[in-house]
Amino acid sequence: MTDIILFYFLATMTVLTGVGVVMSENPLFSALYLVLSMTGVAGLFFLLQAPFVGAVQILVYAGAVMVLFVLVIMLIDINKSGEKYIGGNAAALFKGLAIGIFSGLVSAVVLRSPIVAKPALSNGSYTVLEIAKVLFTKYVLAFELLGIILLVIPIGVVALSRIKGGTHER
Amino acid sequence: MGSDGFEITINIIKMLVIFLMMVQMVPVLVWVERRGSAFIQNRFGPNRVGPLGLTQLLADAVKFLFKEEFVPPASHKWLYYAAPVLALIPGALAFESIPLSMPIHVNTESGAHTFLFQGYDVGVGIVFVLAVSSLGAYALLLAGWGSHNKYSLFGALRASAQMISYELAMGLSLVGILMLFQTFDFQRMVEIQRGTLHFWLFGKEISLGFLPNWGIFFQPLGFVLFATATFAETNRTPFDLPEAEAELVAGYHTEYGGLKMLMFYIGEYGHMMVASALMVTFYFGGYELPFYSSQSLVEALSQSMSSNAASIVGALLLHVVFMAKVLFFLWVFIWVRWTLPRFRYDQLMDLGWKTMLPWALANVLITAFFVLMAHG
Amino acid sequence: MSVDVLTAGHYLILSAILFCLGLTGVLLRRNIIVMLMSIELMLNAVNLAFVTFSYFNQNIDGQIMVLFVMAVAAAEAAVGLAIAVSLYKKFKDLNISLFEHLRG
Repeated sequence: MTDIILFYFLATMTVLTGVGVVMSENPLFSALYLVLSMTGVAGLFFLLQAPFVGAVQILVYAGAVMVLFVLVIMLIDINKSGEKYIGGNAAALFKGLAIGIFSGLVSAVVLRSPIVAKPALSNGSYTVLEIAKVLFTKYVLAFELLGIILLVIPIGVVALSRIKGGTHER
Repeated sequence: MGSDGFEITINIIKMLVIFLMMVQMVPVLVWVERRGSAFIQNRFGPNRVGPLGLTQLLADAVKFLFKEEFVPPASHKWLYYAAPVLALIPGALAFESIPLSMPIHVNTESGAHTFLFQGYDVGVGIVFVLAVSSLGAYALLLAGWGSHNKYSLFGALRASAQMISYELAMGLSLVGILMLFQTFDFQRMVEIQRGTLHFWLFGKEISLGFLPNWGIFFQPLGFVLFATATFAETNRTPFDLPEAEAELVAGYHTEYGGLKMLMFYIGEYGHMMVASALMVTFYFGGYELPFYSSQSLVEALSQSMSSNAASIVGALLLHVVFMAKVLFFLWVFIWVRWTLPRFRYDQLMDLGWKTMLPWALANVLITAFFVLMAHG
Repeated sequence: MSVDVLTAGHYLILSAILFCLGLTGVLLRRNIIVMLMSIELMLNAVNLAFVTFSYFNQNIDGQIMVLFVMAVAAAEAAVGLAIAVSLYKKFKDLNISLFEHLRG
């Protein structure tokens, strides 16, 4: 019973804050709504017996990535940015149509798949040790590649932010 | 939460009591801070109101309550009001998940119950504490942005940049501890630190009976790095650049007064308490007495009283031990604040990225080598 | 899909809703930073679906995938923000249509 109440609470919060992300006039409020949305998803992970992933979600997304977003937004004078949405032309109509079709497609697929009716289980969660064992045996190559990505990305970002105009310098 | 009404009730009361304990520590710490700073600077400090100036705390509380409510007219009202509340949450959430004493086992008519001496146990210990304390940056950012004051904003940006930089060094300095204890669970860590110092080195068992089996003897470098990083995380001197008076008035809480200011204080001291409790749990044996394990304490107590009472009294005694250790580290925080001067901002960033990060990585490598070579 | 018991469907529908919200944000908003955040929202929805499958199929791989997605998302956010900042430095604005100036 408690988990049903918790699920509906977290689901409502996640969706409402998600709407907030898309609708907010001010990017700063978008970012703050996104933090709440991510915390809600982390709560759902705890509900799904994945406490490690939930804690990492808060640590990485809410604690690091979103702080970065908020910092950048605060450093930029946001009030200057012009129109909020794509203008009311044919493109917007087609985009809305595309979103509608895609939503219908996803819902149909989700509702028709056999996994949907599977009831919640009551077994214990995976320990961090079990996660680590799979991560460092089966997925070790992917893990190493990820390490390379995380090494290359900061170098790229530093280069990007230090660049003085580059080829487009007028 | 618990399996029946009795357990659920006790657990909810427990969470409330631990939270109130954290909040109630703050006035005491403010008093220690003021008297301690006076002691260090060869002054008297507040000594007129009550014995040793202790009732000064009550006077302060009254002052905080009755200050004029002031809101900067150009501020974002929502953010301005949300920030002090947010400042309170991470410290409270983290403090609730740290075991403050051993679990209590009681037998009642309805069966045997075990109560952990902590708000809740999420099962991933350290990661959870790191996660919620990383949310602390938002309170500062919102306060800085919401009060619509350039000094506040500068202070907030400095504070959050500092927090994310030192979070890295803090996390890495804990990797050594994780490799050593091979667990995320605080309770298990404390159990491992029981007894006297003994370890395996190149297949030989070495035991030193005159030292307790504390993490500090395995991870001295890790402890220094962790302690330094927590000083930066809590924004205390020598890393209190966010509120450097000479440059930034009072940093992110320039525009706050009264109760809202008090909530920032509670947040800061809550962070300090979490940091001290973590240091004690990781490096100084948690709630265990050196040379006298909790089991033998409970056994000695159950000679003279029922096993239920022995468990409760033993847990309370060990809680006193834990709090004594925590208070020592809180005093170290205050001691350092009134002894060391402030860094310059570039020095702070250099220390974080160019000194502490490489040393933390070196600590990981060294620990990995010794853990791997323990059995030859 | 029943009301009184949580099934995989509940989580998957929620995940789909979040994903479509993120998609809406990416397609309809013009501010680059908001678009990046909408992408993060979509990745979050995917993470939720991964963990749901991991839980209901008793398979640990879903949780590992989430860890990978998080790391890549963090990297992607860093690069995206760096591009946004350099764009802002040049044009003093963050409108997505400014990328039209990059052709040639």
